[in-house]
Amino acid sequence: MTFLQGSLLYGLFALSIPVIIHLLNRRRFRTVKWAAMQFVLKATRESRGKKRLKQIIILTCRALAIAALIFAISRPMLGGFLGWGSGKIDTVVLILDRSPSMERREADGQPVKRESVLARVATAMQELDGARLVLIDSATNEAQDIPSPDVLLELSTTGPTDAAADIPGLLSTAIEYLQEAKPSRSEIWIASDLQRTDWSPDDPRWAAFRAGLDELQPQLVQLRILSLNSRKRNDYAITTLAARREAGELLLDLELTREEDAGPATLPVTYNINGARSASTIQIEGQSIRFQKRLPLEGQSDGGYGWVAIPTDTNSRNNVSYYAFGAEAPAYAYYVHEDGVPDEVIEALGRAAAPGLPNQELTVLPENLGHQVDWERASLVVWQAALPTGPVAEQLLKFIQTGGVAVFLPPAQDSENSFGGISWGAVTESADGRYFIVKEWNHQDGPLRDGVDGTPVPLQRLRAILRREISGDTTELAEWDDGSTLLGRRIIDNGTALFLNTLPDYSWSNLEQTAVHLVALQRSLNLGSQRHGAGFFAIAGQSNAQPEAEEIRSRLDAYSKGDPANADYEAGVYKFGERIVAVNRSSSEDSLGQTSNPDLDTALAGTNFQLFEESSTTGDPLVREAWRAFLVAMLLLLIAEALLCLQPRRPLALPPTPQPST
Amino acid sequence: MKYDFLDADVLARLGALPVESRLAMIGNVVGKHRSPHRGSSVEFAEYRKYVQGDDTRRLDWKAFARSDRYYIKEFEADTNLRAYFLVDCSGSMNFASGEHDTKIQYARKLAASLSYLLVNQGDAAGLSCCTDTLHLEIPPSRRPAQLQIIFDTLANIVPTGETGLIGALHTVAEKIGQRALVVIISDLFTDPAALADALQHLRFRKHDISVFHLMDQQEIDFDFNRPYRFVDLEDGTSVVAEPNLIAEEYAAALQEFFRDVEAACHDVHADYHLVTTNQNYEDIMRDFLTARLPKQGRG
Repeated sequence: MTFLQGSLLYGLFALSIPVIIHLLNRRRFRTVKWAAMQFVLKATRESRGKKRLKQIIILTCRALAIAALIFAISRPMLGGFLGWGSGKIDTVVLILDRSPSMERREADGQPVKRESVLARVATAMQELDGARLVLIDSATNEAQDIPSPDVLLELSTTGPTDAAADIPGLLSTAIEYLQEAKPSRSEIWIASDLQRTDWSPDDPRWAAFRAGLDELQPQLVQLRILSLNSRKRNDYAITTLAARREAGELLLDLELTREEDAGPATLPVTYNINGARSASTIQIEGQSIRFQKRLPLEGQSDGGYGWVAIPTDTNSRNNVSYYAFGAEAPAYAYYVHEDGVPDEVIEALGRAAAPGLPNQELTVLPENLGHQVDWERASLVVWQAALPTGPVAEQLLKFIQTGGVAVFLPPAQDSENSFGGISWGAVTESADGRYFIVKEWNHQDGPLRDGVDGTPVPLQRLRAILRREISGDTTELAEWDDGSTLLGRRIIDNGTALFLNTLPDYSWSNLEQTAVHLVALQRSLNLGSQRHGAGFFAIAGQSNAQPEAEEIRSRLDAYSKGDPANADYEAGVYKFGERIVAVNRSSSEDSLGQTSNPDLDTALAGTNFQLFEESSTTGDPLVREAWRAFLVAMLLLLIAEALLCLQPRRPLALPPTPQPST
Repeated sequence: MKYDFLDADVLARLGALPVESRLAMIGNVVGKHRSPHRGSSVEFAEYRKYVQGDDTRRLDWKAFARSDRYYIKEFEADTNLRAYFLVDCSGSMNFASGEHDTKIQYARKLAASLSYLLVNQGDAAGLSCCTDTLHLEIPPSRRPAQLQIIFDTLANIVPTGETGLIGALHTVAEKIGQRALVVIISDLFTDPAALADALQHLRFRKHDISVFHLMDQQEIDFDFNRPYRFVDLEDGTSVVAEPNLIAEEYAAALQEFFRDVEAACHDVHADYHLVTTNQNYEDIMRDFLTARLPKQGRG
């Protein structure tokens, strides 16, 4: 509880007044000569106990009535958010989560969570007259003095953004501010929806924050969390996973998600490409669905941009996703082979990497010319030789880290080289008259996944005589019947390294006949080509979503006007100089994970924080003056005291004079 | 009048009412009260068989003529009344609230007025004043000069000390040889059980007992609004108490006391009157005298 006139609380010393008066009254007695003394003595003896208790209760009522009066004139501020234990506050540091998830609107006509909490903070600050309000918002992560709480809702630094919030980072900024400003009594208010990805409760910076709070002593800092984590309505979100040219069309990989699986639903989806709109419907079952959309480019060879939108619902910020794509350019694949590889194998792998589709180019290099790979433009590198070492290995690793895909095939010669901790083992031959066959593989993920229409790749037809064991830590995507790995994967940053342990050579396997290697390489090439398309995508709030030096930013899409002051943190299609970048919200903002109370207890251990969980749809103020309640309490206490004091005195009737019998 | 506790007008008004005894008295002279003995009054009492030695002048010849048996016709004997006024002179009798009389003043009025009425109708009146250390006793006499003695004694009473009522009652019971009217005027602030014993003693001696139980209205109401130090009028002990807090217990104790005293009086067929000093003593005396009048002639 906060008291606006805290100094008046010294009046609580007046609690002793009833006791003092009582004691003085006992001293200031009058003397009366009394005849019926035997009854006074008896009554005094018998009145001990419950009478004394009654007297104590009466005194307590009087003392509490005075306390209630003192509290009332001290102007107490009551509210679940501030709660008990607060004194006069000098400074309130408001940490505002401006991430897209705060833009939920739980009921039609009601403000979004961010606006709701800002309105309540403004009301609370008006009640705490004299307290300084400092805003640290999740987009700028800078402390800003707010001259008047009335303007909170009008500030650009409290407006909506598409950037994720970094709560530990914001708290670090708050600590730095408090260390510099040194207010005597301050409070940190965190207004957030407790989205786990924003809070990162396992982040090591929480320990630093706790230590920072300790160092602030003897400053009194109270930490309060206004949790706006209610989710009363279902919410749909659309995300563009990738956008690339393919056969004269733009191929969009999209994902539609929803918070609750409310059964099958059909949703209209609007597509905009270079200003031209089209629409279709998509049916969703379960919580998410990934789908592809092909948009005709109609011979356009230049780059372009657009957006994909679903109808506005609970949270309008995740109902649109932007994309951009570059000018037409081939996908480059490199095939590096060891010496002595049969021409049939080279041809088979070459056909698989570049089967004749447009905009695909393949360069075949012997092992000793592996350094000639153009790592910048390559999308796929097929390495069928001893694992690279030295500079070539470093370049290959960097290529993978930047989104490229490398497919390693077993060399004929044994080698002890390793790449990323993975090496080729010995060649294993199947028993006479028997083959290695595939036991199972991942139908959902990886280059051997089922087709969009659900058709599986014909891996069950694969028969192998020879294979080279894979040593090292990989994720198994396909497994031989004896438990050995056929295809292993290692994700390295943005790229992928695949290890396939047999060859499309009749002396090794019938891979060539099954064409499984073609599917795998084409899918790997597509995946790798996204490293070039990735240059057209950025996450709001991150550095690549902002123009570089001497670049001028202009917004291209017409989906929404946005706030120019928040352009650094808003999704949209922007032109940075000559570049076109589609800026989207972070995929983490669509995450449903919440920071649990145990997580908070761990992250904020020892900080004595107070969590105020409040439905965002209620308009209750965070604080309100509570003097009326105290006056009512005082009145009730006085009535109780009066009832105890003014107990009905039964008139003592004289007994009738008995009539003696004669 | 010389004595402030006597009011001539009141005595004149009450003079029309006789002081009657509710029991047969044994006096030493002829009077107007019933006697347990047979005598020569005009009131027929009973027939009894003649025995040798009886006065033949009292034979009922008409009865002999009817029944051929000798019967003696007996008549009631009338005698005078002897009354003892036992006045409690303990310190507690000195209590008065407001403008009312103290209990001893009220007792003086009752005792003096009744003495006057008794002597005036030819009966004897005596007085006994008691405390724990003092026991004045004026034997009953029907001489007019007796009144002077009684009045002077009453006027000179100074209530002090603890009550000696119980001892005085036993003393009176032992000393009075013949049946008498014993009028007790006291606040009875003593042990009700001991009081009951003393009254039983009096009753055993066949005395007609009347009790004027004097109380001050404030002693009953116990109406105080602040802490008081109560100082005992008898032994000087004191206690500080908040009347508001103990009023309930005080009232209960007082009720229990009244109940016990009333029961003690009822058991001995005593004529019990609870009187508060704010009441008009003339009304009290009138009620007392009226209630003692025979309801249907004599007997």
